[in-house]
Amino acid sequence: MKLDTSGFETSVPTIGFGSSSDMLDELSSVPSFDLPHTKEFDGFQKKAVDMLKHAKGTTTLAFIFKGGVMVAADSRASMGGYISSQSVKKIIEINPYMLGTMAGGAADCQFWHRNLGIKCRLHELANKRRISVSGASKLLANMLYSYRGMGLSVGTMIAGWDETGPGLYYVDNEGGRLKGDRFSVGSGSPYAYGVLDSGYKYEMSVEEASELARRSIYHATFRDGASGGVASVYHVGPEGWTKLSGDDVGELHYHYYPVPPAIAEQVMEEATAE
Amino acid sequence: MQIFEYNGSAVVAMVGKNCFAIASDRRLGVQLQTIATDFQRISKIHDHLFIGLSGLATDVQTLYQRLVFRHKLYQLREERDMKPETFASLVSAILYEKRFGPYLCQPVIAGLGDDNKPFICTMDSIGAKELAKDFVVSGTASESLYGACEAMFKPDMEAEELFETISQALLSSVDRDCLSGWGGHVYVVTPNEIKEKILKGRMD
Repeated sequence: MKLDTSGFETSVPTIGFGSSSDMLDELSSVPSFDLPHTKEFDGFQKKAVDMLKHAKGTTTLAFIFKGGVMVAADSRASMGGYISSQSVKKIIEINPYMLGTMAGGAADCQFWHRNLGIKCRLHELANKRRISVSGASKLLANMLYSYRGMGLSVGTMIAGWDETGPGLYYVDNEGGRLKGDRFSVGSGSPYAYGVLDSGYKYEMSVEEASELARRSIYHATFRDGASGGVASVYHVGPEGWTKLSGDDVGELHYHYYPVPPAIAEQVMEEATAE
Repeated sequence: MQIFEYNGSAVVAMVGKNCFAIASDRRLGVQLQTIATDFQRISKIHDHLFIGLSGLATDVQTLYQRLVFRHKLYQLREERDMKPETFASLVSAILYEKRFGPYLCQPVIAGLGDDNKPFICTMDSIGAKELAKDFVVSGTASESLYGACEAMFKPDMEAEELFETISQALLSSVDRDCLSGWGGHVYVVTPNEIKEKILKGRMD
């Protein structure tokens, strides 16, 4: 009786280097394992998968509108794939009229924002007037520039209201400092930008702006795995900042997209014996 | 990120009294981006045998198609359904065939064997079988799942209670994983019926 070696055969023909494929067809009848055609056998799979380094795992956004500055962020902290916390405060209160957002290393952002708060207070005491948003962001940017290349991870926005009106600056660990009207930072920022940019109007009211900010964060938490938890929204006006809302995005999803109640199926009754 | 964490997944199976439950999350992602929230990870082989596959989504789909093909051939030849133990051996052999270029998935097999005795097992990506009497887990959320199942599992649960337990274990575990979740899919199988339920979970 002929031994059944069909268990060794594979349905996919082995891919050879052009001319040697004929030889390989004959060889495939001999029971063997498929070996990949590569010089470096160990670790070839790791190299074959070219992974991009993922961005700072968060979503924060801020924009200037008629009524001031709107600042919003999620609250998830992730370590690789593990969610280490769903309740991180990513909007840092530097002083009663200035807010900073946190993206990147939590320790870095918390420390340097507090340090910035100290410097702003010292400026107030020395000059008998509040520091401008431009000045505060410059202080932070210069501090971060001096630590350039040492591995700090900070992607922050400084939002505030000073004598010139509302101010918004983006500052990062490279020492970059940008003035702008709309920013979003983090791995969820592309999704937030999509919703923010399409709904943005300078003449929005505070309610419309806060709903836009909340919605942008919600959409980013839906699409981005590293964002989630609670969508916090703050407003910075001439009198300082106020927290407008902090909604759990799990509940927000069903608020925006409620599940239609299922039609109860008819249950077939068992035929009773008569 | 590793290749097993490219798409993200969570699968768990639990044994009850003459019944079993198998559950998975519903997210399909490309690293951190969520592409779909209705990805089918658990598939029926026959009325009393289910397989849940975690890992790389393309291999999940291909491996499932190959296994259905082999089972249909078996049905034609033997004129009966495969027993869960036999099926587990088949999956193990198919995975080991690709020992040096493996399918990047980890199956969870759950079925009712002779006398409606529930059978569950899991495997690594090259076919090492791991039988268990209580629960098996697999996927990116597997560590959280181990903890949740260990805490919530009780032996000899009826179908209703088993459904509650497995749902809570799944939802609480995927809430600690960035790469899985976005809903849940549970099958509770007793000798007479298959109950399929979709869970409302956190969509973040």
